Amino acid sequence: MGAQDLSIFSLASLLVFLFPILYISRHLELGINKTILIGMIRMCLQLGFVGLYLEFLFKFDSPWLNGAYLLLMISIACHSILKSSNLKIRIFFKPLFFSLLISFGIILLFFNGVVAHIDNLFEAKYLVPIGGMLLGNCLRSNIIGLTHFYSGLKKNEKIYLYSLSLFNNRTQALKPWFKESLVAAINPTLASMTTIGLVSLPGMMTGQILGGSIPIVAIKYQIAIMGCIFYAEYFSVILSILFSLKTGFNAFDVLKTNIFQNN
Amino acid sequence: MISFESVSHTIGNTQIFSDRSLCLGKNEKVLILGKSGIGKTSLFRLILGFEQPESGKILVNGLTLDKNHIYRIRQQLFYLSQDIDLKDEIILGLLTNIWEFNFAKKLCQEEIHQQLTFLELSPDILQKRTRELSGGERQRIGLMIGFLLNRSIWLLDEPTSALDDAMKKKIANHILSLDKTCVIISHDHCWQDHSAVRIERWL
Repeated sequence: MGAQDLSIFSLASLLVFLFPILYISRHLELGINKTILIGMIRMCLQLGFVGLYLEFLFKFDSPWLNGAYLLLMISIACHSILKSSNLKIRIFFKPLFFSLLISFGIILLFFNGVVAHIDNLFEAKYLVPIGGMLLGNCLRSNIIGLTHFYSGLKKNEKIYLYSLSLFNNRTQALKPWFKESLVAAINPTLASMTTIGLVSLPGMMTGQILGGSIPIVAIKYQIAIMGCIFYAEYFSVILSILFSLKTGFNAFDVLKTNIFQNN
Repeated sequence: MISFESVSHTIGNTQIFSDRSLCLGKNEKVLILGKSGIGKTSLFRLILGFEQPESGKILVNGLTLDKNHIYRIRQQLFYLSQDIDLKDEIILGLLTNIWEFNFAKKLCQEEIHQQLTFLELSPDILQKRTRELSGGERQRIGLMIGFLLNRSIWLLDEPTSALDDAMKKKIANHILSLDKTCVIISHDHCWQDHSAVRIERWL
């Protein structure tokens, strides 16, 4: 049993709610109508494209193709993280790419192999949607983590340098910012873990139930996924900060001034 | 020993100083005098490796200041910044961290209390947070860190500006009697009037 298909007209019927939103936003002079429209159009186009592409991926189900798609997803995530964190892409892309590849890659393959017992670890049906879910969450936490770390350091550069002179060790001098950034990055997921099921039913579980799974199976998957999201976020933020230090600081352990997109 | 050989320094498009030379022998005490904006604080930032000179050479205890020697050089430097830029935390935790990291052993309570007595600070201050300190307390905690670290070269940027006259004199006399090489930036007379101090006027 699968979920009932939605016709194009049914989907379009949701626009009924968009018109009053556009009207109210315009009336209140919020200046976000263009952004709303672009967001809606991009969402439809991107998801439509992904739908078509996933059909193609599922049909061929080649481990190479699936793996390549995953690498593409990571590259796009890196681009988006750095853009949102106000950090220069050409300086931080490589360390961030490898931190995501290692942390998120290990967790994803562990989920597929050890938790879900899938014979083909790169099976598109699991790899792409679960990978996307993990990566989407890593994206958010890395934006928070990297922004917190580098903006915090830039703002408090004198305090960092003074610590550096006292400890004569970059790692020790950076510790307070590292700790703060990690906590800030994982806090949203920790908060959602404590309220999940009480305040909201997660999208994946809802999707599985609509797709015909019995609730207890959907719940098991949800627990596993929430755990994996948390682990992937935690490790990826740690690695992305650690890997980025080499390019973010000069040979004298001073924060480089040219690493920000807008100085 | 610190040696500045024809050092020029620029930040962005602004030249802070050009072709400056300075030489300090072991345990020598030098007071740098000059108008604001002449680059006195930049001198410290250069010695600490926080900024790099446009040209010229800096030597600290025989080591050229470059990326290969910076750790060995910083190991010998104690820097007291003008604002004592400490992260907000409890003083005892801060002192313990600094001590245990630098010496890999437990902080000696007796040493702490000796310093507190000398600096005329109440032991209660150890439970305060850095942001709760007054200017004078902050300065004395900064100096206390210097006494605890006991490094051989001291770079002091207005070390006594927030202290009363008696305390200024006491601190200056004590620091100037130590076997340390000191570079001091200060407008306080307690430093200028002392016979152990060589005065360098930056124009």
